[in-house]
Amino acid sequence: MFALMIARYHYYKINGATVPPTTQPLMSSIVIAAPSRGALPANATTPRLAARGLTKRYGDVTALDALDLTIAAGEVYCLLGANGAGKSTTINLFLNFVAPSAGAAEVCGIDVTRDPLQAKRHIAYIPETVMLYKQLTALENLEYFAGLAADEPLSRDTLVAHLREVGLRDEQIQQRVGGFSKGMRQKVGIAIAVARHADVLLLDEPTSGLDPKASNEFSALIAQLRDRGAAVLMATHDLFRAKESGTRVGIMKRGKLVAQMATADIGHADLEQLYLTHMHD
Amino acid sequence: MIAHIARKERTEMWRDGRFRVASIALLLLLAVALLTGLTASRSTARDHEAAQEAMRGFWVNQGAKNPHSAAHYGLWVFKPSLPLSFVDHGVDAYTGVTTWLEAHKQNEFTRRPAMDRPSVARFGEWTAAAVLQLLVPLLIVMLAFPAFAGERDTGTLRQLAAIGVPMRTLMLGKATGIASALAVVLVPATVLGVATLWLGADGGRGTDDLMRFALLSATYLLYFAVVLVLALVVSARARNVRTALVVLLGFWTLNSLVAPRAVADLARQFFPTPSSVAFQAAMQRDIEQGLDGHNPADSRRKTVEAQALREYRAVSLDALPVNFDAIAMQASEEYANTVFDRHFGALYDQYRAQNTLTQWAGLVSPLLAVRSLSMGLAGTDVEQHRHFAVQAELYRRGLIKWTNDYFRDNTRTGEWDWKAPPELWAKYPPFEYEAPLFGQSLATQRTALLVLGAWLLLSVGLLVRAPALPVV
Repeated sequence: MFALMIARYHYYKINGATVPPTTQPLMSSIVIAAPSRGALPANATTPRLAARGLTKRYGDVTALDALDLTIAAGEVYCLLGANGAGKSTTINLFLNFVAPSAGAAEVCGIDVTRDPLQAKRHIAYIPETVMLYKQLTALENLEYFAGLAADEPLSRDTLVAHLREVGLRDEQIQQRVGGFSKGMRQKVGIAIAVARHADVLLLDEPTSGLDPKASNEFSALIAQLRDRGAAVLMATHDLFRAKESGTRVGIMKRGKLVAQMATADIGHADLEQLYLTHMHD
Repeated sequence: MIAHIARKERTEMWRDGRFRVASIALLLLLAVALLTGLTASRSTARDHEAAQEAMRGFWVNQGAKNPHSAAHYGLWVFKPSLPLSFVDHGVDAYTGVTTWLEAHKQNEFTRRPAMDRPSVARFGEWTAAAVLQLLVPLLIVMLAFPAFAGERDTGTLRQLAAIGVPMRTLMLGKATGIASALAVVLVPATVLGVATLWLGADGGRGTDDLMRFALLSATYLLYFAVVLVLALVVSARARNVRTALVVLLGFWTLNSLVAPRAVADLARQFFPTPSSVAFQAAMQRDIEQGLDGHNPADSRRKTVEAQALREYRAVSLDALPVNFDAIAMQASEEYANTVFDRHFGALYDQYRAQNTLTQWAGLVSPLLAVRSLSMGLAGTDVEQHRHFAVQAELYRRGLIKWTNDYFRDNTRTGEWDWKAPPELWAKYPPFEYEAPLFGQSLATQRTALLVLGAWLLLSVGLLVRAPALPVV
């Protein structure tokens, strides 16, 4: 499908890479092609992300308390909560950055502590600020990160197309990222996720500090990834973005998931009221 | 994946202007050190050769002279430089490269270049070895300290960990990347080294010199690999980039500057050597207990006299068909030789013990093992000095015996005024030093090789059993 998409363009060369000669695409025109999926577990009903009694303690402090959560393909689950509620700990546990004190974190049915490398083949991670190598161009950064995960090297044409898809202009693609804004870095992060054909996106406050336009663009890209079947777990403080982007939201407090609901079932005001209620308890 | 990581590391480094400046500066320093080393080495070799020729001329043309006077006339001999000495001057400046050969005495080496140097020379000589031992490891440290710690500080390590790049792969990739960047300096330096060696070659020892150069290059490459792996491991374990830099600069300082001096002092404490004055005094005491060949009243001379009379079936010295004075002097020489062997042997054994301790100390500071190998292969270590000193002494003993035997066989006792014909002196062959072969030099470096092998095993172990990446 991707091949069909890029075939619509007339190609020309940028620094040896063949890219479509279009102008900067409007966000509304950005289309992220459905990926040719990597190896997934045989059972298609297996949740992409599953926390089963997932617990993390640091001494006497319980950062995450017996979290039970499943996220299916095509879902965007937004974790809300104050600082220290356990949102980032949850993401770190799925990334196997920290080991659970009890319970299990699974990605596509793979226990991340037992087979972290296999589990991570399905994950793309976008932190609050995507950190890149400032001496490298956007294209080289994508080439590096995508190449580390790919079984076979991706062609430069494909990578350039991915960067264009997330909204980077041709000159930005060939520019060293040292001078990139946070929004541009986040776009490269999304491009990495796209290039890797990730089944799961773990986003840790990805829109924090973005201006509304950039934040909106980012959400649009996430929505496209969701539509193609990715499961997204996003930790955020942004209630509006959670309601707009999420299919479900969960509210965390002192390491516990105290409430969760489908975003379709609740309005903006109600979500804010519910959130504040839990924060004041 | 390793090549993929290495390519990125190389690209990043090359785009960093600091690396370009540092590597070009280092390459220039190395090239200048090699070329000036070669020029100085060839100039010294020419001077020594000319001086040796002149000495031979003085010896051959000394005219009609009593053989014992000729033995006292003596001659200077010079330790020839091996072709690789332009890389590492070793201890030559401190041991000296010339000695005076004369009757009755085994002289110490004199005219040590270190004695004529300004005080600034204490900071070390500018040789290719100094650049390779001090500056290249420093460049490696500067390239490798942020390899992991820097990525942890900037957050890219989390990205890599999230992708699931195995630590071992990352370690190997970074090591390959930095090594290939260093090749920018080391490959031209090696080519230059071979070219310089070829330019400096005097023929005859070509294969031996090439084997020495090959092992010398391998030694340094191994050392750089060890430093690189250590630097990467420290960078991977350090909490942040500043800690990694401080730890690695501390290691570099201890390894490169502190350990060589501290271990040398320690070795002198464990295996002390006498001062030159005490050494000469002790040797003189022992010699005085022997035979004085010049003193007819010496009681020990009577024993030798009795032996000579028995041997020649003569009843008195006047009846001897040979010169007893020459026999007595040779007996005196042979006694003195046992004293020299004991004292110089003990002195060189202490030096050897000091060197062995230093080589073992390489287990703590790998540079010590590398320095030992470097000097040993360049032919500028104490063992090579001892080898030359022994050959020079054997030549001296042969020469003195030859003069004494000639004096004995061609005169009668008491004919001190007799003079040998002027053409006699050319009959004794000139001094030709045969330097030890590659295998002989290597045999004295077994401990250093073992220690370097241990460091290699440790480095491979650290690479294979790379620690997990602490990213949070």
